[in-house]
Amino acid sequence: MQAAELAEQYPLVDIDADALEATRILARGRLPGLVVTERGRPYAVLAGSQVVKFLVPDYVQADPSLARVIDEPAADRIAARLRGRTVREMMPSKPTKLPSVDRDDTTLEIAALMAREHTPVVAVVRDKRHNLEILGVVTAARLLEQVCHVE
Amino acid sequence: MSAAFAVTVFAVAYVFIATEWVGRVKVALVGAGVMIAAGLLDADQVFFEPETGVDWNVIFLLLGMMIVVGVLKQTGVFEYMAIWAAKRARGDPYRVLVLLCLITAVASAALDNVTTVLLIAPVTLLVCDRIGVAPVPFLIAEALASNIGGAATLIGDPPNIIIASRAGLGFNDFLVNLGPIVIVLLVVFVLVSRLLFRSAFVADPERVDEVMRLNEREAIADSRLLLRSGVVLALIMAGFVTQSLTGLEPALVALLGAGLLVLISGLESSAYLEEIEWETLLFFAGLFVMVGALVATGVVEELAVRLAELVAGNLLLAVVVLLFASAILSAIVDNIPYVATMAPVVAAVMASDPELQGQTVLWWALALGADLGGNATAIGASANVVVTGIAKRSGHPISFWEFTKYGLVIATITVTLCVPYLYLRYL
Repeated sequence: MQAAELAEQYPLVDIDADALEATRILARGRLPGLVVTERGRPYAVLAGSQVVKFLVPDYVQADPSLARVIDEPAADRIAARLRGRTVREMMPSKPTKLPSVDRDDTTLEIAALMAREHTPVVAVVRDKRHNLEILGVVTAARLLEQVCHVE
Repeated sequence: MSAAFAVTVFAVAYVFIATEWVGRVKVALVGAGVMIAAGLLDADQVFFEPETGVDWNVIFLLLGMMIVVGVLKQTGVFEYMAIWAAKRARGDPYRVLVLLCLITAVASAALDNVTTVLLIAPVTLLVCDRIGVAPVPFLIAEALASNIGGAATLIGDPPNIIIASRAGLGFNDFLVNLGPIVIVLLVVFVLVSRLLFRSAFVADPERVDEVMRLNEREAIADSRLLLRSGVVLALIMAGFVTQSLTGLEPALVALLGAGLLVLISGLESSAYLEEIEWETLLFFAGLFVMVGALVATGVVEELAVRLAELVAGNLLLAVVVLLFASAILSAIVDNIPYVATMAPVVAAVMASDPELQGQTVLWWALALGADLGGNATAIGASANVVVTGIAKRSGHPISFWEFTKYGLVIATITVTLCVPYLYLRYL
């Protein structure tokens, strides 16, 4: 099967979009990560784990034992850190570039790319050389579903 | 000829260390390598003579204390104390600052100031977040307090360790001679902080509950380990204090304590080994060899004779010049290489003048100048660099000048206060 056939519609978020709204998209769709675009072009993958990391205050990241001293109601309010922030601010200092495949690439080519780049999503683009126009996204789950013939 | 070569290599290396163009460890090791390759030092001088080579007392004292701190860090005791203090202060920002600074100063004296600020800074960010105040003044104040507190003991600040080894001074010598002035300086620092950081002491009273709801008991990760660590730390302190009775060098006390703690802690070796700053130890080793080349080629002796002539018969002038010159130079460059260079010079000055023999005041002037001068700028002491790094990562960057405008005031006041102390007590 070719990449174009595996490609699914996947929510894209602009790099300057509201962080809280983008996180809600991630949560509602139970997605492995967000596909981030800049001026309509694929830019990077923002993994769900990176979003969770952003929710954790820096001082707790520096000293994880501090997570234990914070009371439950305060701990439940950690999403407040997203207010007024953008997706750009949630990006790691070295963002994971969104890997892309051509529409006629095979499942093995896609799997090899995912394995090499450690990413759960790959963009299927019309013109891979110029990284133009995302036709859809192949997720690791979709790929595995196809190769294992999961009902 | 060899002296000129040694001075040139040393000066070039110093410029690289001061400007941080290249990693300081690399510079120190390359500098040491060049001195050895040029035949200025032989193996005996490098390995077995502390005056001209690696001072193993300093290296192993640092190593031992790093291991002790590595274990102690696992207990959560610093976090416990900081949160307890914030709750005792009932969220009042000034009281919080005072208590956190006092904890930092005492811990810096008992352990080392870099580790202390590394452990206190994250809790400070948490407390400031809870009471809704900007954390920058608190972080700066803690760095300043750590450098003041660290000056009180032999193990509190690396320059003191070097001075102790070169001068043959013990733990009690530092405690008795520098402890009193450090207490005075801390009191002054706390009072001045009220004015200096006054804009930071505006908190939302409604957020006090946020602090009171923090549970400091949860910070203690392993109470049995805490108890064992506490006992071993007390034994180490007892070992330092009773050095004159037992004859055990501080380095041996620290190594024995570290070994005992490792033995009874039950921790995986990776837990405490990762706290060892191998780069720092290598930096010290390279630095000692470079300075050793200056000693072996007679540069230090020549410099000492010139300095002794300059201040001949005027000990007060010598003390004041050494105190302020050390403070100014330590504010500009790292105080560790400065003291590593100056310690043999001071030793030679004292050896060249019969009137100075037996006088320890020059050592205290060097220690106070180097330790307190480091407060003046953001790069003057390792603790300052660590704090500004943590602040930046947490989204509260501290610019060089922001740190310096506070640090310079505190450094000027504290160094100036040392003059009457040294005069009244020793001259």
